[in-house]
Amino acid sequence: MAGKIKKLIDTIVEKRSGGNSTIATLTKSKMVMKGINPEKFDGNSPDDPAVIEKLVALAKELNVNI
Amino acid sequence: MNIQSVYSENSNIDEVIGEIKRQLQDFDTRLLIYFASSNYDPVQISKAIGDSFSTAQTFGCTTAGEITSGKMLKNSLVAMAFNAEAIGDMKIEVIENVKANCDIKPAFGSFEQHFNTSMAELDFSQYVGIILVDGLSGCEEKIMDRIGDKTNIIFIGGSAGDDLKFTQTHVFANGKTYTDAAILAVIKPAAGFDIIKTQSFNALNKQLVATKVNAEAREIIEFNNLPAVQAYSEALGINKEEADNYFMSNPVGLIYGDEIFVRSPQRLDGTNMIFYCNILEGMDVSLLESTDIVSDTKQAVADKVKELGKISGLIDFHCILRTLELEQKGQTIDYGKIFKDIPTVGFSTYGEEYVGHINQTSTILVFK
Repeated sequence: MAGKIKKLIDTIVEKRSGGNSTIATLTKSKMVMKGINPEKFDGNSPDDPAVIEKLVALAKELNVNI
Repeated sequence: MNIQSVYSENSNIDEVIGEIKRQLQDFDTRLLIYFASSNYDPVQISKAIGDSFSTAQTFGCTTAGEITSGKMLKNSLVAMAFNAEAIGDMKIEVIENVKANCDIKPAFGSFEQHFNTSMAELDFSQYVGIILVDGLSGCEEKIMDRIGDKTNIIFIGGSAGDDLKFTQTHVFANGKTYTDAAILAVIKPAAGFDIIKTQSFNALNKQLVATKVNAEAREIIEFNNLPAVQAYSEALGINKEEADNYFMSNPVGLIYGDEIFVRSPQRLDGTNMIFYCNILEGMDVSLLESTDIVSDTKQAVADKVKELGKISGLIDFHCILRTLELEQKGQTIDYGKIFKDIPTVGFSTYGEEYVGHINQTSTILVFK
């Protein structure tokens, strides 16, 4: 299976930013600092369980429900 | 003018205070941000500033060199004064024992009470945070991560220095002196603010993946499943015995879009590489090559002046590694001149804060 990571990243950014582009960019930068670079994933990226687990934890830290 | 920058190179604290007060005698100072050489007694300097500006809020830290309009200095005190027209609102908090617990909750609770809104909801376009951290605490990443989790407002700042003695750094707030601590200030600049983040590097098309790390110690054990120094040297095409000669000109960086978040190697420990900030396991960093600090910074400031029309003041949190490079190249006078027409204050830091903890960068808070 593929694409779940990209969807999770998009969901986190959208919910955290509320559609504001400045906060969206800031949120992505914060993700980079936490070890997930949004640019490294697209719809074809395999569903790596370790990355998904990291994203779930990251969403919790950012107070985003996914 | 609602923002003024002043300085003193006097070594006597009483004389320093006298000179600063004279320069601000006709100015109604409501906020004073100051950066002082660690060669001043930190307790005395903070108390003297607090006592002398008792109707203002004051905060600052020790440095590894100071910056004022037009000049890079050593063994001085530089300060930026704001009057009531410059600052709409502000609140200063201190986090103590950052090495042990790094708890931002009480500070954020205080901000929420003062501004009467949650930090998650505070308007990021109206408010900005300044952070000054004990530069030898090693906990900047943790603090910045926690801050970033709880708010969308930008915290910008630097890690306090001690003139390259690496023994103890201090932060100051309202007459008191702290070590193992961080100052957090949330400010509402009346005319608005902006940010300049500038680092003088290009990304090379050479990737290193941190495959084994000790993040707490800012230590990389392996890049690309090879001993760190071996992978770094092979990527640069050099002998590993000479690797540390390249640390300043060829650090590594996290790349996101056009942004580079620089991570600078400090030293080798066997085949391990110790950095000035952490790299987490699995992070993919690019090898960087240095460009010219003076021309890059000059362009970044000129671009911002053009964009905004004018800058009323700026605070330059300027990496000590940049200062050392400028000194090696004999460019400190040229760097200082970049800011000659702008009320400026700044210092040479032991690390810069913006989104996270970064190195070899100037993070600059611009007041419109």
